[in-house]
Amino acid sequence: MSQSLTDIIHTFQSVDEEMRTELLLDYARKLPPIPQRLQQRRDAGLDRVPECMTPVFLWCEPDESDASRIRLYISVAEESPTVAGILSILVHALDGGTKDDVAGIPHDLVNRLGLQNVIRMNRLVGLSAILGRITRLADDPQPVQPVN
Amino acid sequence: MAGQYHNPDMLVTTDWVDEHRGDTATIRIVESDEDVLLYDTGHIPEAVKIDWVNDLQDATVRDYIDHERFARLCEKHGISNDTTVVFYGDNKNWWACYALWVFQLYGHANCKIMDGGRDKWKAEDRPMTTQRPSYPAVSYSAKPADMSIRALRNHVQEHISRGNPLLDVRSPGEYTGEMLHMPNYPQEGALRGGHIPGAVNVPWATAVNENGTFKSREELEVIYQQQQGLHPTDDVVAYCRIGERSSHTWFVLTHLLGFDLVRNYDGSWTEWGNLVGAPIEKGTPEPVTSA
Repeated sequence: MSQSLTDIIHTFQSVDEEMRTELLLDYARKLPPIPQRLQQRRDAGLDRVPECMTPVFLWCEPDESDASRIRLYISVAEESPTVAGILSILVHALDGGTKDDVAGIPHDLVNRLGLQNVIRMNRLVGLSAILGRITRLADDPQPVQPVN
Repeated sequence: MAGQYHNPDMLVTTDWVDEHRGDTATIRIVESDEDVLLYDTGHIPEAVKIDWVNDLQDATVRDYIDHERFARLCEKHGISNDTTVVFYGDNKNWWACYALWVFQLYGHANCKIMDGGRDKWKAEDRPMTTQRPSYPAVSYSAKPADMSIRALRNHVQEHISRGNPLLDVRSPGEYTGEMLHMPNYPQEGALRGGHIPGAVNVPWATAVNENGTFKSREELEVIYQQQQGLHPTDDVVAYCRIGERSSHTWFVLTHLLGFDLVRNYDGSWTEWGNLVGAPIEKGTPEPVTSA
């Protein structure tokens, strides 16, 4: 796992459930805005992760300044702070990271974060699909084409 | 009366809620959303959160909490048997209707929906806070479940054998079963696609306007009665995938259109589509011609 994700997990594990919920909400608020060129793709309905019932749009590109690193951008509908929170954690941990960082995401991330009561079973299909897509894209990241 | 909903008092406006929300001794506002943390990002100041998973569902067995636990839930939020409970929530009040349905399952008569829900309240820039109110506990006496509004799978089997109408409120693609063959489509664990034999398809959000408010009585009559051939004296079972969208439709049929006997089949497609031997139809049936 990337150092950032280890730190994040450690922080979550060291507080009680109420505080973990607060932390997750904080991450939801801190989900970085996506660049306008990607907003245009989202608004055109492109790049959505269909397995997630909540509208989630995802992009992974090579880092222009360092070929060994990737850029990760995610857009989540406002009405789903739980989803925005967990995906914001991924962005904070993986944006600017390496393929190895992506490969190191634990399969039981939700449990490790102590968020089983917040991110419930019905979300896991979508989350699993999102992680799968990030892994596939990070393996061979391509620059995203702008909408004409 | 032409134009009026069957139970017009079941719906209140955002104006009404704003005016009455301070009356916390007799009114309790309840927010119910799909996302358990949406309330925490901001809610109507006097509102309490009731979460469909954490508060209304049993954690071990797939079922609602029983009536005793329902009573404890009400007591915790300062809801007495006489309290008027006003529900609202995200996405056109889908989970708000689900919570209201559960309250009516256990006999709470004084229930209302805030028309337009959370999105309308926000769009009108009305007050919201992240602070949670707390209310003094009261006592509550709950009745055992009123099964006249709930269908279990054996009821559905009897229902089909009598040729009674069913209303499938999912998307057309889920109804016909074609969705199951689309790559990457969320399967939600159903091993088979299609619909319960005899069901007609009216996606649940057909009943609401863009701003989340319910359509007029006349418009709803066209949608459900003229176009689908349903009649207010019919014995109807509504379902979706897990019973939340169908409780929204149950609300429309029961309280807005005055249908006498509508039951929500909360097992819905996650049960029927996985049930060994359950009959399934695929595709679109012949269109109904209205009389």
